[in-house]
Amino acid sequence: MEGVSYQRFPKVKIREMKDDYMKFELRETDASMANALRRVMIAEVPTIAIDLVEIEANSSVLNDEFIAHRLGLIPLVSDDAMGMRFSRDCDACDGDGQCEYCSVEFHLNVRCDSDQTLDVTSNDLRSTEPRVIPVDVAARSLASESGGFDSPDQRLDLTVRVVDPEAYTYDEEVIKKAEAMGKPGLVEIYAKEDSFIFTVESTGAIKSYQMVINAIEILKQKLDAVRLQDTVDADIGELTQHLGRGL
Amino acid sequence: MGYREKDSVETHNNHAKPIKSAVDKFALLPEFLKVRGLVKQHIDSFNYFINNEIKKIMKTNDRIECPQDPSLYLRYTKISIGKPVEYMEHHAEKLTPNICRLSDRTYASPIEVDIEYTVPNQTNKEYKKGLVIGRIPIMLRSSCCVLSGKDEAELAKLGECPLDPGGYFIIKGNEKVILIQEQLSKNRIIIDTDSKGRVNASVTSSTHETKTKTVFFIDKDKIYLQLNQFSKPISIMIIMKAMGMENDQEVMQMLGRDPKYGFLLFPSMQECRSEKIITQKQALEYLQGKLANLSSLRFEINKDDRVKKILINVFLAHVPVKDGNFRPKCIYTAVMLKRMMDAVLNVETFDDKDYVGNKRLELSGQLVALLFEDLFKTMNSQVASRMSKAYDKASRSTPLYFIHYMMSDTITNGLERAISTGNWDLKRFKMNRKGVSQVLSRLAFIATLGYMTRVSPQFEKTRKVSGPRALQPSQWGMLCPCDTPEGEGCGLTKNLALMTHVTTDEEEGPLIKWCRKLGVVDVEDLSGEELHAPDSFLVMLNGLILGKHTKPQKFANAMRKLRRKSVIGEFVSIFVHERQRCVYVASDGGRVCRPLVIADKGVSRIKEYHMKELRDGVRSFYDFVREGLIEYLDVNEENNALIALYEHEIPKDGHGEDNADVQKSSITHIEIEPFTILGVVAGLIPYPHHNQSPRNTYQCAMGKQAMGNIAYNQLSRADTLLYLLVYPQRPLLTTKTIELVGYDKLGAGQNATVAVMSYSGYDIEDAIVMNKSSLDRGFGRCIALKKQIVVKEIYSNETSDRIVRPQNEPRKQALDADGIAAPGQIVRRHDILVNKQSPRNKKDRITNPMALKDCDYAPSNVSYKGPEGETTVVDRVMLYSDKDNKMCVKFIIRHVRRPEIGDKFSSRHGQKGVIGTIVQQEDFPFSEEGICPDLIMNPHGFPSRMTIGKMIELLGSKAAVSSGRFHYGSAFGEPSGHADKVEDISRTLVKHGFNYSGKDLLYSGISGKPLQAYIFMGPIYYQKLKHMVLDKMHARSFGPRVTLTRQPTEGRARDGGLRLGEMERDCLIAYGASMLIYERLMLSSDPYQVQVCRQCGLLGYYNHKLKTSWCSMCKTGDSMSSLKLPYACKLLFQELQSMNVVPRLKLTEY
Repeated sequence: MEGVSYQRFPKVKIREMKDDYMKFELRETDASMANALRRVMIAEVPTIAIDLVEIEANSSVLNDEFIAHRLGLIPLVSDDAMGMRFSRDCDACDGDGQCEYCSVEFHLNVRCDSDQTLDVTSNDLRSTEPRVIPVDVAARSLASESGGFDSPDQRLDLTVRVVDPEAYTYDEEVIKKAEAMGKPGLVEIYAKEDSFIFTVESTGAIKSYQMVINAIEILKQKLDAVRLQDTVDADIGELTQHLGRGL
Repeated sequence: MGYREKDSVETHNNHAKPIKSAVDKFALLPEFLKVRGLVKQHIDSFNYFINNEIKKIMKTNDRIECPQDPSLYLRYTKISIGKPVEYMEHHAEKLTPNICRLSDRTYASPIEVDIEYTVPNQTNKEYKKGLVIGRIPIMLRSSCCVLSGKDEAELAKLGECPLDPGGYFIIKGNEKVILIQEQLSKNRIIIDTDSKGRVNASVTSSTHETKTKTVFFIDKDKIYLQLNQFSKPISIMIIMKAMGMENDQEVMQMLGRDPKYGFLLFPSMQECRSEKIITQKQALEYLQGKLANLSSLRFEINKDDRVKKILINVFLAHVPVKDGNFRPKCIYTAVMLKRMMDAVLNVETFDDKDYVGNKRLELSGQLVALLFEDLFKTMNSQVASRMSKAYDKASRSTPLYFIHYMMSDTITNGLERAISTGNWDLKRFKMNRKGVSQVLSRLAFIATLGYMTRVSPQFEKTRKVSGPRALQPSQWGMLCPCDTPEGEGCGLTKNLALMTHVTTDEEEGPLIKWCRKLGVVDVEDLSGEELHAPDSFLVMLNGLILGKHTKPQKFANAMRKLRRKSVIGEFVSIFVHERQRCVYVASDGGRVCRPLVIADKGVSRIKEYHMKELRDGVRSFYDFVREGLIEYLDVNEENNALIALYEHEIPKDGHGEDNADVQKSSITHIEIEPFTILGVVAGLIPYPHHNQSPRNTYQCAMGKQAMGNIAYNQLSRADTLLYLLVYPQRPLLTTKTIELVGYDKLGAGQNATVAVMSYSGYDIEDAIVMNKSSLDRGFGRCIALKKQIVVKEIYSNETSDRIVRPQNEPRKQALDADGIAAPGQIVRRHDILVNKQSPRNKKDRITNPMALKDCDYAPSNVSYKGPEGETTVVDRVMLYSDKDNKMCVKFIIRHVRRPEIGDKFSSRHGQKGVIGTIVQQEDFPFSEEGICPDLIMNPHGFPSRMTIGKMIELLGSKAAVSSGRFHYGSAFGEPSGHADKVEDISRTLVKHGFNYSGKDLLYSGISGKPLQAYIFMGPIYYQKLKHMVLDKMHARSFGPRVTLTRQPTEGRARDGGLRLGEMERDCLIAYGASMLIYERLMLSSDPYQVQVCRQCGLLGYYNHKLKTSWCSMCKTGDSMSSLKLPYACKLLFQELQSMNVVPRLKLTEY
């Protein structure tokens, strides 16, 4: 393959970094890159979750499927998730999810003997693998966002002072206002199309920064897969031939 | 309920305070509903039946005599209805509604009577107390019900939901509602035109004994009477003469002085004269000749007597004739004539049959009373006939005791059958109504409430007239303008509004006394001349002429004062009709009325301190009525009132009067709350007054199909089918009605974040795009609970089924050691639920039925009939014995479902849609804050539907989530502060960093670039409707066929084929696809090989042994041909042959 190189050198500047919250800038690239990163973070960074529940006895007011669904929603500490396999393509156990490479077993054994309602939380789950435990909610404090909304304010002399360009949600209201004041073109607003501010929030299953790193790792793997396919001259070759371009 | 309401009102008022001078009367509403309840009309009417009416019925039928010996008699002295119990073999078991529901029993109480009866040859009477003559189904929450007066904790102990309104019956475990029946007023004069355009006046008289219809009509200027008992219409003057009004002048005087009336009556007089009828005797003789032959079979009594009897008992039956005094009837006839003539002379208009004031609503109490009276009479006549039979046979040694002939099952079975089938067949009134009672729908909590307020129409639904279907102005505040079904019942089936009350009968005696005291002159004392004296008004009480009064306004005011002082009943209506020169006093049952605040010259009688006392709990709604601050007005009396919406709307006297269309001083009443013109179901809609009207109607139909919570006891109920939402929410944008009825506690939907935009093309035609991650988190997840019952049958030879421990067999993995599937077990279609065996011999007598061997039993397993390919779970297993003492097993099978493509959802604005596609969250658009919608709705849903309410709901919900306060959207609530204004909502949105218009800048999830347009996004309450793809999808290649025609079966339930109908066939013919027609209509349906004889053209047969075809007609097999026919065609030939029609097939070489 020959051609022009489109290689870019995006810059990342970390603004804030906590276990479950992270904010960074991604500069000098375009939306496709940023969006790929976002999509991978949402969909493809592996975490561990309960997906098979066997119920021996359940005499609570909540039915089995209800409990199973809620168990599936519990975030588990997934630091090792990158090293594990999906049970569906695990060679060691033929995909039945019983081996150490693809599964962790939890036990939930709670019994209420008093006449009060008993709260059962993720703390009652007993893990067979000490590194995979439910996320401790108490230790996690939700990062509260600063909910300020500063629109550029107009002064009498009609100079416009931009307080914080990032806090501004572009909705044309300012431009409309300017027009209503009889000064069209007073304000012009452009979006910076090569800079992105990421806010990464995590359930706590993996640390937010780890999530970013994992996502990049996965993105790399995916690109490798594409490159590999290209050398084998698989479908893409056929496609280009079909299109009659021919390399 | 009460406390929180007031709280929210107060916090609310700080936000959008109405004009200060107005007293916030909203707090009255929860108080009203606490006292009256949503279904109080049902309960009130049933209570009235149980406590009063039943005693009256007993009193009128209290004596049974032996026909042969009248000294042998039985007399009822007391009747009472106890608490619901069921008599088992030797003890009485107290019943609770929930026990009855679960074990398929009837929730009924014994009717106990005290009797005295004579025994032949004994001087002393025998007495018996507490004799049970039958069991009567008890309405839930009525005064006889165990639930009456119980608080929430006690109800919970009885397994009952505190939000359940009651008002229905439980018959054999089924909940049955007796719908409110709409009827035309009885005993009232209705002036109308008939189909031939003739003016007529009709009265449907109804007394305890009979029900008759009297019609006067004008034909060719002459006035006639039409009565079923007479074969021909009778001139009115003859009737007058027959009633003793021999003098024509007297009749004229009764109509009034105006010569116009004389001209109208003159032709009738002439006709009378031409018949040569002058005296009463002549008239009676004339009538004698006109008698219809209806009653010719009956034994002939004195001929004169018969006509007289008809005049007394049939003609205007409700006007009493005392000691042969026909004068009241004459006067009544005269009044009817006068009204009719007024209509002809255009002085008065015709009566509107659709006017709500001319209608009466028949409630369950009255309907049960009718039924009970009929059955009670039947029982008494049965007792009498049994007694008479026994009397004939009696030997002197066995004394005749009446009590031996009392049987208790006539009433019990009669009531139970009528309520469970809904067929009201009463011989006496020739009543034959179907569908009076219906199964209470428990699909949604709101559906249940909706059922209790439904009014079923008087006409059959097929009539294609628009009049009765149109919205009547007099429905205002009484009947909901939105809640009516679409289609055939549109406008006919109605629903009560929130505050409507339906009256029950009230004693007339004290009313008459008060009227007399207030100066009503008895008609008896008046000459005909005085009747219509220009300065006097007639006073009518429940359709009867009571007398006349010279100062009608004064009289009406005095009566109203008495009502406000609670001297006479609160539901008595006094209505002054100026044009008819009548004062109508009504105390009959079935009138719709509603409470209103009384205002003196426009100033509300309710002051702030009253409301404070109410809030402090020292004053109840009843106190308001008793102290004359609030009164009930029925539709007629509303015409005498001038009702203002708000107090502050009234302009101050002497100021701004020119542009005000009403003077403040003329206002008599003030509405309590404007949103009470809507019913319960329409009350769920936020901002309904911003929507296009039909949309609200659509939502009323759909709100009843929404899944959610049914009742607090929903998981311990055993309904045939129950749909529950796993995570139901209360709407972010509520209304006051929602809080009043408890919809916030038993919600049926979820607050979904909706983006109004186009996405993917899978959202056209109202389809919606769902976020897959939302579904993972539990959005729209629902539980379907289905019931399956297995009966352990007992056979006539005393053998019975048995349930045995399973061996390790396939399909029996769900069974427990007792042979019954265990709760918590996963079952699939065709899995066995009960390992049951039936005896092989079920008919012949067997010496010892208990000692049957294993080989005497054949397996008769019961398997689970559920959807193919789904895994479901046994939720509960209940064992009980039914009324025949057979053991029954009830299985409740649970199926948790996740929304899939094709499932139906709807917002609260009549905007339904199915899921078009389910999309991964990363492909979904997102906002700068990271908010991602749960579903995407196509904006084309808005322009044509004009559901502005939905847009305001979105705004309001968005403000609600960002500010943390539930917002309100009650109907017409903006001025009183029961609905948030868009302006205030926008302010809140801006305060929390959103655009004031609810639009957000979204980024595409696919490209990551900002979307071109701003997207209107926010939460909207979405309902999941009961129509799900899983229950509907159906396809088949081959499968079962009907035995008769050998064609594929029909319908999904029978795994039927999909029909290629005649229209589809026509298309194929037109196109010329003959082979396709051949395939669809024959090969894929019912191909059949036949042998046809070429000689005779009839069908032969193929002998498989001889391998030859044979024609049994020609007795030869020489000229047989074989061809393919549809089996149905062959069947048709044979059927024709059986009817001596010979179809012959003529075959030619092809």
